[in-house]
Amino acid sequence: MVISPIHYIFVPLVAAFAIPLLSKLNKELPRIIPGIVLFYNIIISFVLMQEVNEVGYISEVIAGWRAPIGINLIITPFSGFLVSLISVLGFLIWLYGFRFKKVIDDGELRSYNILQMMMITGAIGIIITGDIFNLFVFLEIVAITAVSLTSFYRGRDGAEAGFKYLLIGGFASAMILLAILILYTQVGTLNMAEIAERMHTVPTGIKSTILILFIVGFGIEAELFPLNGWAPDAYSQAPGPTSTAFAGIVVKAGVYGLIRIIFTLFDIEGAYDFLIIAGLITMIIAEAAALKQTNLKRMLAYSSIGQMGLALIAFGIGTKEAVFAAMFLLLNHAIIKSLLFMTGSILMYNSKEKTISSLHGIAKRLPFISILFAIGAFAIVGLPPFSGFWSKLYILSAAADKEMIFLIVTILAVSVIEIIYYFRVVSKLYFAEGTTNVEVYKPKINAKISMLILGIAIFVIGFYPDLVTGYLHNAADILLDKASYIQYVLNTDSTIQ
Amino acid sequence: MNIFFLLIIILFSGALLSFVSNRIVPKISGIISFLIISLVSILFFSQVNIGETFQFILGEIPMQYGVTPYTYIFAIIVLGLGTLAAMYSIEYMKDKDRLGYFYSNFLLTILGMLGIVFSQDFISLFIFWEIMTWSSYLLVIYNGYNSRNVGMKYMIFSAIGAYAMLTAIVSIKANYGTYTIAEAIQNGAFNFSEHMYIPIMLLVGFAVKAALMPLHVWAPNAYSKSPMSFTSIFSGAMSKMGILGIGLVLASAYSYSNNDDTTNYITALRYTLGWLGGITAVMATIYALIQTDAKKLLAYSSVAQLGYIIVGLSTGTELGVMAALFLAVVHGIFKGALFMVVGAIEKQVGTTDMTKISGLIRKMPFTFFVALVSIIALAGVPPLGGFVGKWMLYEALITESNNYFLIIVIFFSSTAAFLYSYRFLFGLFLGQEEKETEHVTEAPITMIIPMMILAILLIVTGAFPGILFEPISHGMHNLGFSDVNWSMSVLVNVWGEESNMTYINLSIGIVFVVIFAFLTIKGYKGTKNVGTKDISTGGEIPTENENLTFQLDFFKPFERAAAPLYKRSMDKIWNDLGNAIDSLSDFMRKIYSGNGQTYALFVVIFLVILLLFKDTLFAN
Amino acid sequence: MQEQFNEIFIKYHEIITIGVYGTAIALMLIGLYAILMKKNLVKIVIGLTILDAGIHLLFVGIGYIQNGTAPIFSPGYENSADRMVDPVPQALVLTAIIIGFAVTAVALSLVIRLYKHHNTAKIDQIKHLKW
Repeated sequence: MVISPIHYIFVPLVAAFAIPLLSKLNKELPRIIPGIVLFYNIIISFVLMQEVNEVGYISEVIAGWRAPIGINLIITPFSGFLVSLISVLGFLIWLYGFRFKKVIDDGELRSYNILQMMMITGAIGIIITGDIFNLFVFLEIVAITAVSLTSFYRGRDGAEAGFKYLLIGGFASAMILLAILILYTQVGTLNMAEIAERMHTVPTGIKSTILILFIVGFGIEAELFPLNGWAPDAYSQAPGPTSTAFAGIVVKAGVYGLIRIIFTLFDIEGAYDFLIIAGLITMIIAEAAALKQTNLKRMLAYSSIGQMGLALIAFGIGTKEAVFAAMFLLLNHAIIKSLLFMTGSILMYNSKEKTISSLHGIAKRLPFISILFAIGAFAIVGLPPFSGFWSKLYILSAAADKEMIFLIVTILAVSVIEIIYYFRVVSKLYFAEGTTNVEVYKPKINAKISMLILGIAIFVIGFYPDLVTGYLHNAADILLDKASYIQYVLNTDSTIQ
Repeated sequence: MNIFFLLIIILFSGALLSFVSNRIVPKISGIISFLIISLVSILFFSQVNIGETFQFILGEIPMQYGVTPYTYIFAIIVLGLGTLAAMYSIEYMKDKDRLGYFYSNFLLTILGMLGIVFSQDFISLFIFWEIMTWSSYLLVIYNGYNSRNVGMKYMIFSAIGAYAMLTAIVSIKANYGTYTIAEAIQNGAFNFSEHMYIPIMLLVGFAVKAALMPLHVWAPNAYSKSPMSFTSIFSGAMSKMGILGIGLVLASAYSYSNNDDTTNYITALRYTLGWLGGITAVMATIYALIQTDAKKLLAYSSVAQLGYIIVGLSTGTELGVMAALFLAVVHGIFKGALFMVVGAIEKQVGTTDMTKISGLIRKMPFTFFVALVSIIALAGVPPLGGFVGKWMLYEALITESNNYFLIIVIFFSSTAAFLYSYRFLFGLFLGQEEKETEHVTEAPITMIIPMMILAILLIVTGAFPGILFEPISHGMHNLGFSDVNWSMSVLVNVWGEESNMTYINLSIGIVFVVIFAFLTIKGYKGTKNVGTKDISTGGEIPTENENLTFQLDFFKPFERAAAPLYKRSMDKIWNDLGNAIDSLSDFMRKIYSGNGQTYALFVVIFLVILLLFKDTLFAN
Repeated sequence: MQEQFNEIFIKYHEIITIGVYGTAIALMLIGLYAILMKKNLVKIVIGLTILDAGIHLLFVGIGYIQNGTAPIFSPGYENSADRMVDPVPQALVLTAIIIGFAVTAVALSLVIRLYKHHNTAKIDQIKHLKW
């Protein structure tokens, strides 16, 4: 292969360790280095994405031990696409947060940048690993960095959100560890391909127990109900770029982990229906709760949870069309939600209590940001001609193919509720009477460029979704094709259908 | 580059241009949008050939654009009204702010409507439908009202309708294998024998826009609280998009009459629609009677007129459908004109409350003329266009439908319509002049011109309804109806009798002129010119300042008589539903109680439940 | 020395195995109880640690083979590959212990900050972010 996937892990790690040393030379370096790293990420991910689209899989083993003994990194079209998305988003988030004002002294600057970079790296690691314990390790990296970033501000609420996140996150890791433990006793291996191959030898009762532990563990990261109590707090208290990273990156990794487990490792049919039901409950409760929120970021957090519920529903439907639609939704959600969080953070910047009433009529003074927020709101609700419409259409179409009319009606009813609370904010932004003495924070050019790029992406995909649909269809096919994955990694002929 | 893409690009870039240009050169957005819409109209009517289709693939869905004779009718309404409204709004909106926002959404609404006209597959239809919906929402809240009653209600209902449509659309694809409208009809999408919910959901979606009971509650507020230049196309053209859809579904449904079940369902549907249309007409009319704000009166009247149109569509006969489509076009013309009139009054006088103003006829004669013509058309009085449509509707109902109760309902509503028409005219223009309105002048010329054009159109279509009959009958052919026998001014009905419109109009015109002449000449000698204040009541001579125009509680006796009807309100039901959802949402959000331990407890409980039920959930 | 140990082990190996597993499970349950029932923040963190400890213990215990020896090729034990205790769980547990240590460190620092701001260490007093 052209570039080894190990660069995703290796380069940021080296940079992370280098930053404290190099910052002695120049105080501004901690700001710049993550940018370079993340940009490098973008380059390698596009290279890899090209390659994997033709080849199908790219695998790399670490330290010379061949799979299944060694740990391997694997790129499939789905993971390649997700990693590219995360790299681009990571870079845009860095660009957005470049002149982040609230970070004061050098220590904070260092820690903020290192943590942010490591969180993104951890998320990428979750996605590209082929070994289940490695998955656990990267998950822990993400969890710890995320908790630290949540409680970054020295205020009162950050610590509260961080503690709740840590408590439940600690639970999640315990569940996953336990699941890995039991799994290991059954199949004797930690390599995902080999586990998939040997899964049919595991007795059903134990298999479902392991699956349940995994679901609870990953569900906490993927914000499934009722495991998502930590999420609204964490999203609303974290600094702007971090909540953007949560919504755009971290939760995708959680969903990816869950999907990998269910689709690749396990072969239980009931899991798909479970996904649909769990996703549906998550979506309904999250969107209903969002309706009455007064804190903008909290409202966006609930909306994010709801969209992830929708993605899980789509994955649960299970057909090729549905999986493709789910991937498209993940792509769209990442772009749109990131835009919403970015603009939302700027809109809320100077407000003390961060309530929506503080942004009444602010569109006059921040027209650019307000327009972008409005575009994001329209897009996420699923209005044409923005990109969110296509993903919703494909999901509904896949559901209709399987005659799930009740599901369609419920999803659309929830969409009406989404329209209510998003449009309420947009109209207040433009037309409500606001206080004129609130100082607004005018973003600098770097933030504007990030947000503009996301906005343009929304338009481009909305007008011409064919740009991405071809690639995503291929990705969906390969995700569902377990046998070839096993075969590729283990270089053996697999007997799994 | 085909014409449809060109039109879309022009309108989109026009919207963008309007939005941006307002910051650079203020007030120029209006002129830009007017030019763009004129350009689009010219291009459309010259370049588009009916029946030509254009196919392409977007998002892996095959899409098809093309204008059918049926949708051509609506194109006329949309583009005609759109151009005139754009000209009108240059002056109307002159002193308001956020013009860029207004005009860009205006153009997007026109784009949406035009797109609906030339979409021949459901996905394109939906895309343009939604564009139309959200851009019109942004305009409804332009005046700053987004309380639950106005903007949000409109958006929620539109969204419910649109999503019902979307459900039907994806089901059509799943069950009948295609997104294209023509193919879906061929494959039996609307034949009601199976999957009945599909055409019903489509109808729900269209019925929201057409303000059919019980989905009409958004209309009175939305129509009256938006800027008037927008309301003229809002009420004039956008509601017709709903009619377009309903007509399409119904016509396709009628064309299946293969087995008895289908015919029964379709008859049931026709009766239901007819009743709903009738009830809409009656209820809206009597609500219109008690309004004191001219805008709201017109809004309710719009809903009522749409009720007539739907009744016409529901008869299922050629005459009825023709009546409905004719009424649709004429309603677009006179409603557009009336909202422009009210807008002119609002701009010149400052209010449209009929209890506060009167006697504007002296100061705004041209506006009065337009209002007079439009009101005559609305009330269905010969010799104008509304009469022709109503005549056809009555004829269709009496001769071909057995639904006598519906006939009574429609007659009653038409008569009551006459009452509020008079109220409108009298309340605003006639009567004694108010002191406050003495400084009022006539509306500016760019507002007068569109209104006059519309008024003239009304007169013309009244005398020569054949002008409209031609495209409408092509459209009906396209839908599968056979022709109604007509010529330029003659209608032949079921019994072969001719109703010659020209003779009718001519005779009525002659009678009118004769009586007028008689009164003038005969009474000339005995009359003298007096001021409106030169009266005495019961021996008392009023002072200069007192205004004796009868304005308040205009229809009080009627109100008292019809009091029980006013009590039942669809509005309340929807409000209660909204409150229920609100409390549900409150309940949901209390789940997140803030106590971290509780969240951990949830996790453990979830785990335990899953483990207990793992056999049923995850049986392989 | 080794032989003596092995003898005792073989005699009582069932009890010892049950003892190890039982202790592990007991630790997990105690940790769970502490997390769910105790109100003091520090106690909750301790509970989390105990839960993790239980899982680690379970992990190591599973890797045991009867009569096994340490998984290191040392002089005198070159051919004992088939008698070695499974090294994988031991490696995993080592990693997991370190992760647990990091989590505990972050958790305790958060507890300190929470105490500073709220003046209480009871978790049900700390619910400013809700609904």
